[in-house]
Order: sequence, then structure tokens, then C-alpha cells
Amino acid sequence: MTSRTTYLAASVALFSGLLVLGWVTHGTGIVKDDPERNIVIPKELTSSLQVKAAYDGTRIWFRYRWPAARPNIFNDVLVYEDGKWEERGGEVMGPDPDNLVEDRVAMMVDDGSVPLFGRYGGYITIGDGLTTFTGVPETEEERSKYLPSSRTDPNDFETVKPESDLATLRRAGQFLDLWDWKSSRTNPLGQADDTSVGAAREGDSGTAPYYTNFDENTGQPLYMFDPAKGDPALKIDAVMAGDVGFNDTYYLSETTAVPFDPARAWQNGDTLPRQVLRQGIGSRADIAAPSAARWRNGFWDVTLVRAMDTGDPLEDKIFRDGGSYDLAFAVFRNASTMRWHYVSLPVSLGLEQPAQMVAERIEPGTEPDWTQPWTEIKTFYPGQVTWGRLTDARQHPGADRIAARVPVAVRHSEEQLALYGVQVEFAKEIRRQWIWTLIASLGLIVGIGINTMLLMRRREDEK
Amino acid sequence: MTRPTETPNRHETSWKENDMTRPGLMRRGRRIGLTTAALLLVATGAALAHSEGGGVAVAVEGAPSWSLSPVYHILVAHFPVGLWVTAYLFILIRAFSDSEFAQRLQKAIWPVAALGTLAGFVTYGLGLTIYPWSAITESPLGRNHIMLATWTLSYWTVMTVLGYRFRRHLFDGAQRWITLALATIGVLVITITGTLGGSLTGTPSLVTKSLSWIGWNVYMTFYLPSWMLAVYFAGAALLIAIGILGWKRGA
Repeated sequence: MTSRTTYLAASVALFSGLLVLGWVTHGTGIVKDDPERNIVIPKELTSSLQVKAAYDGTRIWFRYRWPAARPNIFNDVLVYEDGKWEERGGEVMGPDPDNLVEDRVAMMVDDGSVPLFGRYGGYITIGDGLTTFTGVPETEEERSKYLPSSRTDPNDFETVKPESDLATLRRAGQFLDLWDWKSSRTNPLGQADDTSVGAAREGDSGTAPYYTNFDENTGQPLYMFDPAKGDPALKIDAVMAGDVGFNDTYYLSETTAVPFDPARAWQNGDTLPRQVLRQGIGSRADIAAPSAARWRNGFWDVTLVRAMDTGDPLEDKIFRDGGSYDLAFAVFRNASTMRWHYVSLPVSLGLEQPAQMVAERIEPGTEPDWTQPWTEIKTFYPGQVTWGRLTDARQHPGADRIAARVPVAVRHSEEQLALYGVQVEFAKEIRRQWIWTLIASLGLIVGIGINTMLLMRRREDEK
Repeated sequence: MTRPTETPNRHETSWKENDMTRPGLMRRGRRIGLTTAALLLVATGAALAHSEGGGVAVAVEGAPSWSLSPVYHILVAHFPVGLWVTAYLFILIRAFSDSEFAQRLQKAIWPVAALGTLAGFVTYGLGLTIYPWSAITESPLGRNHIMLATWTLSYWTVMTVLGYRFRRHLFDGAQRWITLALATIGVLVITITGTLGGSLTGTPSLVTKSLSWIGWNVYMTFYLPSWMLAVYFAGAALLIAIGILGWKRGA
């Protein structure tokens, strides 16, 4: 080999080596937690949920099963520290290291009245400027899901339509029924929270199955555990470690609570639940759990039941025999809440009708035997993808597909959406780094080009 | 530079007789190139003329009022891919064979690659008209496709210039393995670019999955960490420096 060919071979080896090095190191250095911008990326981007449904003509049951490393049966708590009761847990960005955020499963239901829900699921409810989104200033009230039709500008949270228009939309069925089972706040008394999404996310009429165990005037809890039945408080270390379980008295309710005694010699670390449980009343309490759900062998197994026709068509979606519905699920696990959940794409439900999930008809008055197979549903971390972004042709190349009403599942898998969701959280940074990568790699190609032009030899060059 | 003084062997004699530098063949080559360019321009014009109703149909303030349906990009993309892969096939055959057939193929390498590059520029341009730049560069898959398409086009432009400049010497001695190695990198980037295009239109292939198995999920934007960008810039400078050094020492 001549000297130039040797240089050339070394250059090609260097070029190839740099390509391999680039391959090995790509995608690093940008995607990382940034709590100042409300960015916490879950370790697992996808998960799974199994669902079954059955109905007997008057009641409808849903059974949910999903993996959870451990059960989180506490949500917000009050902890006694140096003479004060401090609030801990409840609303935390990302997984709570103290495990003070409850597990949940939520299900949005539509009967075909909400435009595009059956094609895009919960994405349509994510407007711009929601609480915890990066760059959104904190507001007194939580800004959560809403339907685009409830705003004069669907992408502006502030542009709520007049009450009369919202009432018309309700009457037309333009709301999503939202079933919300919570391991701490509803499960112990065998309930779920019956809510809906319209102009906002709100509870149905009636009384919620829980209320706050704190007196703002005195700065003290309202209730404690009954000392006649055991300790009046739990210990925070035991609560965080998961040492308090289903067989312990871990929630406050009529049967377990007594009025708080401020004169008691409270110790640092004494802990009381920040919510007191009660039987919900009215439409808010339409959904029940036949029995309190339990976590076993790494899985939650939750069954909920509701009257098919609750008599509240303005707050609940009415299930009818032979009907078809659209569902979308959310699972809260790993002590995470707010937008740090795992959501599903829309799933069609048929009551003895062809659909992704078919509810089995059982004899009136009987209970489901649950012998039918599970419907396997993939769930994913959605990131901060808003409906405004998805429908803007300047920000989303698939905006035209949405305009053409092509369902999301046709173009995107759950894994893909999870990865896109994460990248949207770092959109500017990734775009900038990508442009620099484009420039640097072009430089490398120009480099190898000049190199080979100089080093390749013609036979006559050797003479 | 001096002319070779050695007596050429039989194969070299036959090259000389059919050398593409002969005026008649050069003229023919130019005619083929010009005809192809004209055909591609006509195709582009036809695509533009039929663009109404294609591509992004959403009327959005700030977005282009027109765009081309992806179908024209997809249609035209087969030309550069086919031509470049053909050029690679010829390189592969020639790298392992000194037969007369292989040597005849060698003469076709740079014209085929050049036509591929010409078609590549048209394809690239058509691709950029499908979506607003702001939108396609917000899409991880879109970014990746643009990145790989840019690599492919620039790389094969280099290969074409190289192929033309050293057309009779690409396979001299150990140089043939350099040519083969460079072309193999080229055909790999073509494959990845094509499969990303397929994924972008909703038809991911086994190649898409294979890339994931070897470390790149194509739904994640391909970008380098900042320190690696510095290494790439340094690498480019080093390659040029090695080139100059080697050229001076070997001149």
C-alpha cells in the first residue's frame, strides 16, 4: 500500500469510528428531569391495563387490573412536627419518593356525542395553559381538562362560552362522564368519584365521598383515629415505608374517627390522613365498588358498578343494551398524580355489539362471573401534548390528518406517542441540538470528501 | 502530475479505448444527463400543477397556502434510491472482480451515481414542500428523515464527485477496498433514509425495528450531545488535515 492509501485507509477508519461514536452517544444530554420547569420524566413510559365489562340490563360492571410495584393507599396526610400539623403528599410532580400519592384508575365515557373523542381520546381535553404544564404560571384554582367546544377559542382556557351555551352543549351530550377510583379517598368505603368533563373537570351534583380533615382557623386536624380502638395517629415513617396495610385502620371515617383532641401529647411524626371519608350522596355517588379493592401479587384488581341509567343524563352517560360507546382510561401508579399518569388511546365498547371491548350480557339480578377474557390495553405517559399543538399545521405535520378525522391509532402507536410526549417537553432544546447535529455531520461529510479528493491516487500520480 | 509510462495490460487497453473521456461518449453522457434533468423538471412541474388538494389541507395562518402531496416525493424518491443502489451494486461487483464485465460496469458507476444525485436533489426539494418547515422540524420522525436525507444527498454528492474525478482509478490496488467501504456507508444511509420515509407515511418496516435493536428508536430525534458535536467538528478538521498531510507526503 502506498503512503497516500495508508492515510486514506486511516481516514476512512476515523470517519467510520466517528459515525459509530455518534450512533452510540446520540440522544443523550438533553432529556432529563427539570423540576423548575415542572418536568419529571417517568422511568417507564408505557404500561398495561386489563379491562372487562358486563351488564345485566340495569347495572353495568367494569373490572380493571394493572401492575403496581406496591400499593399506595395514602394520599395527602397531616404530619405533626414541632407543634404544627404540616401537609405532605397529595400533589407532587412526578413520582412521590415518600409514597404519599394514592393509586387511581379513571375512565372517560362517551356515547358518541363528543366530536372526535372516539378518534383522539383524552387528547381533545388537553387545552393550552393547564396546571403543571411548563411555563404556565400557578393559578389559585387548578386548570384541568376541558372540551374544545366549551371555549370560543378552543386553545384559550379563559374564553369560556356563556352559561346558556354551555347548558345547550350539556343537553346535547357534549360532556365526558369520568369515573375516578382512588385507592385512598374512595376505595376504603367501596366507592368511586363520579365526575365529568365539560367546560371544566367537575364533580357531579351531590356530596363528594371525602372532605378535608383540616381546620384553617385553628391550623389543626378536625378528626383523629379513635384512641379507644388503637393509636390516635399513625407514624409517618411506617406510612412512607408501606408498613401500614389493608388490615390496619388507615383511613378516617365515621367508624374510625373521633373529633381531634388538641390537648393530647402529640409526638413528632404523628400522622393523620388529610381527608375524611364518608358515603357520597346524589349523582356524585352513582359509582360503587362491590367491595373494597385489594392489591395482590403486584396487581391492583378493581371492580366498579353503576346503574346503566342513573337518571342523570346531564351528568352521566347512559348505557343502553345494544349500545356502542367510547372509553379512554388513565392509570395513576408509582405514587404519581396530575399529568404524571398513563393514559390509553380511545377504546370502543359494545354492549353485545362488535367493538374492541365487548361487555357481556348476564342474567338480570346476577353478578358477573368474569370468565370472559381480558381486553388488553396499552397505556402510556402522554407528556405535555396539547390539542392546540396537534391541530396546528405549523406545529404538527399530522394536523391535516386530524382535520380529515383520521383516528390517532391509524398513525401512531402508544410507544411512539410516549416518546413524542417526552420530546415535546424539550421541544426547543432538541430542535436546536438537532440542527447543530445536522451541521456537524455535514461538516464531517465535507471533511471526508476533501480528504478522499486529496488522498485518492491516480496511477499516474505515483510516477 | 505525469502520465503513466508503463505498458497497459489488456483490460487497461480496453478501458482506454472506451474511456468516457472520449469526446463522443462525453457528449452522449451530457445528453443523457440533460434529458434526465429535463424529465425530472417536467415531473416537478407536473407535481406542482397537481398540488391543489394534496398535502396539508388545513388553512392556518402562517402556514404555506399550498403544498405538494407526499405522493410526488415518494414517487420521485425511487429514482435516486434505485440509481444509487445500482451504482453500489456495480462497485460491489467491481471490487471483487477484474473481469471485463466488471470493468465495463465500472465505467457506468459515476454516470449512474450522478443521475442518482441529480434525482436526489429533486426528491429532496419535493420532500421539503410537503409540510411547513416549522411543522416537520417539530416531528421527531420528520427531523430524522430530513437528517438522513441530508446525509444521503451530501454523501452521494461527494461520492459522485469522487467517482468522476477518479473514475478509472477507484479500484486500483488497495484503493478498491476504500471505495467499497465508502460506498457501503452510502448504501446504509440510503436504506435508513428510505425506511424513515416509510415510517413517516405510516408503514414502518423490519429495518425500522432493526434500528431499534441496534440502539436507535427512530421515533426519538437523532441528535448528538454537545461534546460529541465538538468531536465531530474536530474530526472534520482532522480529516482535512490528514488529507493535506497525506497529499503532501505522498505527492
